[in-house]
Amino acid sequence: MSARRRDVAAAARAEPAARPASRGRLRAWREQHAWCFAASVRRLAERPLGTLLTVAVMGFALALPLAFYLLLGNVQRLGAALGETQAISVFLKADRDAQAAQALAARLRGRVDVAAVALKTPQQGLQELAALEGFAPALDALGSNNPLPYVLLVEPRPELARAAVTTLVETLRTLPEADLVQDDGAWRERLGALVGVARRAVQLLAVLLALAALLVVGNTVRLDIRSRADEIAVLQLVGASAAFVRRPYLYEGIWYGLCSGAFAALLVLLLELALAGPVARLAGSYGGQLSFAGIALPVLLMVPLLAAALGWLGARLASARHLGATLPR
Amino acid sequence: MIRFDQVSKRYATGQEALSQLSFHVPPGEMVFVTGHSGAGKSTLLKLLALIERPSRGAVTLDGQNLGTVRARGVPRLRRKLGMVFQDHRLLLDRSVFANVELPLVIAGVPPEERAKRVRAALDKVGLLAYEKQPPALLSTGEQQRVGIARAIVAKPALLIADEPTGNLDPQLSVEIMQLFADFQQVGTTVVIASHDLMLIKRMKKRVIVLDHGKLIADLAAAEVA
Repeated sequence: MSARRRDVAAAARAEPAARPASRGRLRAWREQHAWCFAASVRRLAERPLGTLLTVAVMGFALALPLAFYLLLGNVQRLGAALGETQAISVFLKADRDAQAAQALAARLRGRVDVAAVALKTPQQGLQELAALEGFAPALDALGSNNPLPYVLLVEPRPELARAAVTTLVETLRTLPEADLVQDDGAWRERLGALVGVARRAVQLLAVLLALAALLVVGNTVRLDIRSRADEIAVLQLVGASAAFVRRPYLYEGIWYGLCSGAFAALLVLLLELALAGPVARLAGSYGGQLSFAGIALPVLLMVPLLAAALGWLGARLASARHLGATLPR
Repeated sequence: MIRFDQVSKRYATGQEALSQLSFHVPPGEMVFVTGHSGAGKSTLLKLLALIERPSRGAVTLDGQNLGTVRARGVPRLRRKLGMVFQDHRLLLDRSVFANVELPLVIAGVPPEERAKRVRAALDKVGLLAYEKQPPALLSTGEQQRVGIARAIVAKPALLIADEPTGNLDPQLSVEIMQLFADFQQVGTTVVIASHDLMLIKRMKKRVIVLDHGKLIADLAAAEVA
């Protein structure tokens, strides 16, 4: 007994001198983190249902803007697939022949506001229609009669303002050769504006739902801190710093974020999987020009990371608010 | 080791817990603080652990004026002392081992070293066999000994205990007090607040007697009979 006492006393005296400076501090930091990490995992595992619910709520909140983003991206692709250029289609009157069409094309090429003019013969138009699914029987019924007119595809200069393009369209409408002038650019511009509005809406929605996720984490951590007031008091009494007391809750927030982000990514992948089949069928009926595009993998991988940052922030805010009250004076 | 210099403490409620208290405890001494309930025993210990700050006067611990310790420095100060509470304050959802380990985790001691020191501390209080148990399965006396093991595991220079035998029967109380005396033997300064006069007399250590926050007697070990 007395021999052990002397050992203890000797160890006690040797202790302060044996403490190395910065390496020791780094090691201590690592040890503390390991403990807090384990503590956070244990806490989540202690109440699996509550953890699962929190993760699910956050996951759905994060999946929603991702789903909209997915749909929006595909609507945009649809718009792009319908025509890269802002070409204006001038359908000539049926009685105009190849010579008249070429003469008009040459005249239009001379205009300063026109970049290019392409000529589409009735035969080419027929071939295009034949390539589209479902039109072949109708064309067979036509026999040798081709009712299609010559079409001039007039491409305005790209630097032209919308108003100038409209003026050009009006001018083309007054041409005696023209039967019908169709301005695809206007339609595309309207779609573009619509997509722009939708994009902004999705962005706002994403911010709101991220805020909701932040509140979910914050509230969960707040409740956890309240239910562990005794433990926190003990930690503080045995000399734990504010950072040490806070750390398991921060880890908890990161876990919530990481798991819910992964859950959201999974939901979006399932959504893509569910949509891929029907969209492929739809695309097939439009001649296979269209394919469904999923969210890029790097973006999807970023989701859990961003969600983890969100979880950390939520936990940090909650712990700053609710640990402050119990900190030692 | 401890110096109280004209220390007064008035709580926000207006209650004067301590008034103009002055005394000195040299390193390695064991001191009982006694008096009826409300005499200021607990307040005295709270000032040492910076759970409370004095309204007037200065408390010096190990040469450091506690008035100069800011909120950020409080955890570091608390790591220098071991605290034992009447209601032991253990984490009931953790094992005995994990409870005793806590101060070492906070100090950043590596796991192998922690295990060695936790077992040494548990061995000292005679609970080595219970390390994997949750504290709830232990008797009150055993729980208190776990609390003591936690207080001494980081080898603090000062051990303070607030009514450590308040919930124990006389036989167990003597054993616990003997344990504190053992730590004094190895050089630890020990301050114990207790109202159990019979027990204090038996221990034959210095006794500080408080009444309504005033020091009314300071008996050296030799004077206690």
